[in-house]
Amino acid sequence: MTNRRHAATTLWWRAVCIWFLWPMAVCSAQTERVAQEDQVKAAYLYKFLGLVDWPPSSFEGDQSPFVIGISGAESLADELMPMVANRSTNGRSIVTRKISPGTSLAGVHVLFIGRQAAARAASLVAAAKELPILVVTDSDDVFAVGGAINFVLVDNKVRFDVNLRTHEASGLKISSRLLGVARRVQGATL
Amino acid sequence: MWLVSAAAQAAVSSSKEIADLSLEELSGIEVTSVSRRAEPLSAAPASIYVITSDAIRRAGVSSLPEALRLAPNLQVARIDATQYAISARGFNNAIGNKLLVLIDGRTVYAPFFSGVLWDQQDVMLGDVERIEVISGPGATLWGANAVNGVINIITRSSSDTQGLLAVAGGGNRERGLSLRYGTALGDSGSVRFYAKTTNARHTDNAADTAVADGTERHQLGFRADWNHDADDFTLQGDTYRTRAQYRGRFGTFELTPITSSGSNVLGRWTHRLDSNADLRVQVYFDHSERDDALLYRPRTDLGDAEFQHGLTLENHRLVWGAGYRRAQDHIAPGLFFGFVPPSRTLTWTNLFVQDDVKLASGLDLTLGLKFERNDYTGTETLPNLRLAWQPAAGQLLWGAISRAVRAPARLDRELRLPPAGPPYIIAGGPDFVSEVANVFELGYRAQPTPDWSYSATAFLHDWQGLRSGQPPPNAQVQNMIDGRTHGVEAWASWQALPTWRLSAGLSTLKKNLKLQAGSTDPDGPANLGDDPDYQWSLRSAFTPAEGHEFDVSLRRVAALPKDAVPAYTAVDARYGWRITPSIELSLVGQNLFGKEHAEFGSAPARSEIDRSIALWLRFTL
Repeated sequence: MTNRRHAATTLWWRAVCIWFLWPMAVCSAQTERVAQEDQVKAAYLYKFLGLVDWPPSSFEGDQSPFVIGISGAESLADELMPMVANRSTNGRSIVTRKISPGTSLAGVHVLFIGRQAAARAASLVAAAKELPILVVTDSDDVFAVGGAINFVLVDNKVRFDVNLRTHEASGLKISSRLLGVARRVQGATL
Repeated sequence: MWLVSAAAQAAVSSSKEIADLSLEELSGIEVTSVSRRAEPLSAAPASIYVITSDAIRRAGVSSLPEALRLAPNLQVARIDATQYAISARGFNNAIGNKLLVLIDGRTVYAPFFSGVLWDQQDVMLGDVERIEVISGPGATLWGANAVNGVINIITRSSSDTQGLLAVAGGGNRERGLSLRYGTALGDSGSVRFYAKTTNARHTDNAADTAVADGTERHQLGFRADWNHDADDFTLQGDTYRTRAQYRGRFGTFELTPITSSGSNVLGRWTHRLDSNADLRVQVYFDHSERDDALLYRPRTDLGDAEFQHGLTLENHRLVWGAGYRRAQDHIAPGLFFGFVPPSRTLTWTNLFVQDDVKLASGLDLTLGLKFERNDYTGTETLPNLRLAWQPAAGQLLWGAISRAVRAPARLDRELRLPPAGPPYIIAGGPDFVSEVANVFELGYRAQPTPDWSYSATAFLHDWQGLRSGQPPPNAQVQNMIDGRTHGVEAWASWQALPTWRLSAGLSTLKKNLKLQAGSTDPDGPANLGDDPDYQWSLRSAFTPAEGHEFDVSLRRVAALPKDAVPAYTAVDARYGWRITPSIELSLVGQNLFGKEHAEFGSAPARSEIDRSIALWLRFTL
């Protein structure tokens, strides 16, 4: 149903595209599905919630929400907020929290460190290390500092790499389904 | 990727929809790295500038005409508190007739003069997805009157405007309150309702006398969208009412306030036939009335139906369609003008076809032809040829040749000054025919790095039979001005820092218009709009910290020749602070440093625009 609905909506846009811009010969270029980079990354962050197991102690109660912390990526946070506003994963609602310098990471389940926070990435990673937090990064440099998942752009598609070593201490379990979609998995024990 | 065009961005799915994809599907989606906050560049072989919703918000504007100042390829001149003269590539005046304006596919120009009464048009700015401004002819698609440009105002689907949005505020020039609420409608639909009320304070003229142009305006509307497999349906409508101040007397004649009102409803259905073809049907009705005791009192009812079929055949993309439009109006005379006959029903029909051929990799040819029939001049032919070449990723060189016409409106044929004649001082010309433009365009745009992009277009319009007059009395409207206009439109954008974007825009115009031999027009081309030789603008969008935004813009508009208006420079600024995710406070200042300036009209009665300061609160839930 969702896929059908998505196809219908795509069509709707396609029709709008044809109607409004068709004389400019642009609609034929629109053969592939196109989205904003931030939208896709935001959708990944939302999807990760269902594919990673957090220890029960990371939630206050059975109904308490997932918290996605976003630092240094204002536009991504703006995409994520409406996206997850009325959604839930495993019966928990989802809260987006913008992490400014000084904001506590307590209660955060996923921490996204955007490129604008590269300067304070090391201290964010250090703070997150003490807690059951899935650290998602947006550059190789920050990933090397201690990210669990890193977004990479491959042929204009957003893919991601996973480093399993960073989770050993934090008590997180990443599902094999997530690993199956990853471009590369580092630190896997054979 | 360069192929990602404005249209492709239009095809971008909503965030909500993307969230429904699987992890595997997400990893296969093609993305554009052109930020939504950037001006979306496009592969369209046309001079197209896209005003994004974010740019509108960050500019701190509260009305549609002010938002249009963001487009470097438009000339926006404020006439008074609520009325504007807006054009592309010149010929700007209060009854400008060479620009087509659409709000969600509905043509909003008044058929009796083929122009837009800007004080009657508004939208809930927070629900606008984007405004596409295409300078140059869009005649093949949009038909007659899209001679110098098309403004395409596109609001978000109601599925993207769920929940509550409230914007309230005001300052020394205006006050406003707008509310929107969106909710789901069953499994597959959504709907939103909005209400907006604004109150614009009167302006003062050069002699510091108050102009009676203070206006209050109220508007209500809705939009509902449904998706069912291969079908999509949209139903939307608006109703509005405006009332300006009492204007006193003109001699013994009492000038009642300018009032206007209108309502419209539009339905649109799109259906996918198979993977390569789709159908689109749109119908709307629009009623509007205006009471201006000085000029005239038009009341118009119009209906419009359009059909379109698109299909892909190997390397051809073929689209054809047809449209029918019928306008019935009654124009009661004002003190100055009347129409003979006062009531009239006009119809327009059109048939068009366009083929987009992929000649080779990176080389696209577009051939279009439209036939449009009107009651005055019969069938007009509007052909269009465009060639686009992408020498490398991130570069586009394009050229276009088009023929566009501005078909006669009632004003050209049936206007009478004064209404009580004959004899008349000025009368519409029974022999007035279409104004014709043959247009040549050449453009280049590039995005050398992700942070830096630019676009430049040169244009030449060769005009035949532009509107001219005769010495009064018994002057009749004729088609006796020919000539050329040419100029350049250019803009650039640079993301200097992740938190700082700079952009610049420039447009220039040279008009070489002459009366034909035998014309006795005493004014000549001066009546065909009052245009600056150039205008430029600079904008800075700075994000000093998360949740804080500081925007400054500077624009310079050269002097207008006749009526003479001095050149002016205006500085606008906005500081926005998102106190919580749902509350944003912004302080907006316009025309901050200059003294008050006129933008259009003749001294000393014309309005002057002074400094405005306003505080706005935006609340979302």
